[in-house]
Amino acid sequence: MTALPLFNNINIYLFIGIFLLACGIVGVVYRRTLISMLISLELIMNGAGLNFIVFNRFLSDRPYGMAFTLFIMGIAAAETAIALAIIILIFRRFKNVESDDLKEMKD
Amino acid sequence: MILADAIFILIALMTMAGALATVLARSVIYAMVGLVITMFGIAGLYIYLNAPFIAMMQILIYVGAISILIAFAIMVAGPLSQKPKEWTTLKRFIAALVVAAASFFLFAKIVMQSKWLPGIFSTSSLTTKDIGRLLFDKLMLPFELISILLVVAIIGAIMLALFSRGNK
Repeated sequence: MTALPLFNNINIYLFIGIFLLACGIVGVVYRRTLISMLISLELIMNGAGLNFIVFNRFLSDRPYGMAFTLFIMGIAAAETAIALAIIILIFRRFKNVESDDLKEMKD
Repeated sequence: MILADAIFILIALMTMAGALATVLARSVIYAMVGLVITMFGIAGLYIYLNAPFIAMMQILIYVGAISILIAFAIMVAGPLSQKPKEWTTLKRFIAALVVAAASFFLFAKIVMQSKWLPGIFSTSSLTTKDIGRLLFDKLMLPFELISILLVVAIIGAIMLALFSRGNK
């Protein structure tokens, strides 16, 4: 494995994917506004797509991983559109988009 | 090979720095800029992984569409500087760090322990023709379902923005 150049090592790509997942988790738990949480979710989905491409490159010779990365991109676009519509509705109603204020159904 | 390795390390560091900036930036607009940097870095990694079509789609969809959508949402419902003091809750930050570090080390342990099969490792890069042929041959049903999902999402977003204006 040492004879290969650095960008042909599978573990480096997987570690970048795990790093994106960890950053996304930190963002979802730590951030207070809904838009920041959505941005962190995008990080997690990017890490998942990177993992698909990595496994397709190193462990297969047919482009299933690439096709499913395209599906992930489509689903992320749909999810972002819906989530931003909901966020704008929440902003109209509560005048801010912080997640701690959304406890009307909890009380 | 040395130059390729150097550029690869640069791209990987750019991706990680963008992710850190996304999470740790104080302002939301800086977080969005960090997200754009991360997506460019991932597109570079896709090019290193012999997937240039996916890299182009990454730049078109994520950088071109989703980031602009998020930018519009920040401008419309901008939490720019309303409560800057409460953004840094130390207890919540410690909890987030614990959860993220636990998951990071769990998955890193799994990655380090697993022996990957040598696999095909074909240097013949998969072209866009292969992806298209697969999409319209075996993955026909998921492809059509994605298009239906996109239409439903667009109509749902329009309905949400349009019809809930009256009962504010």
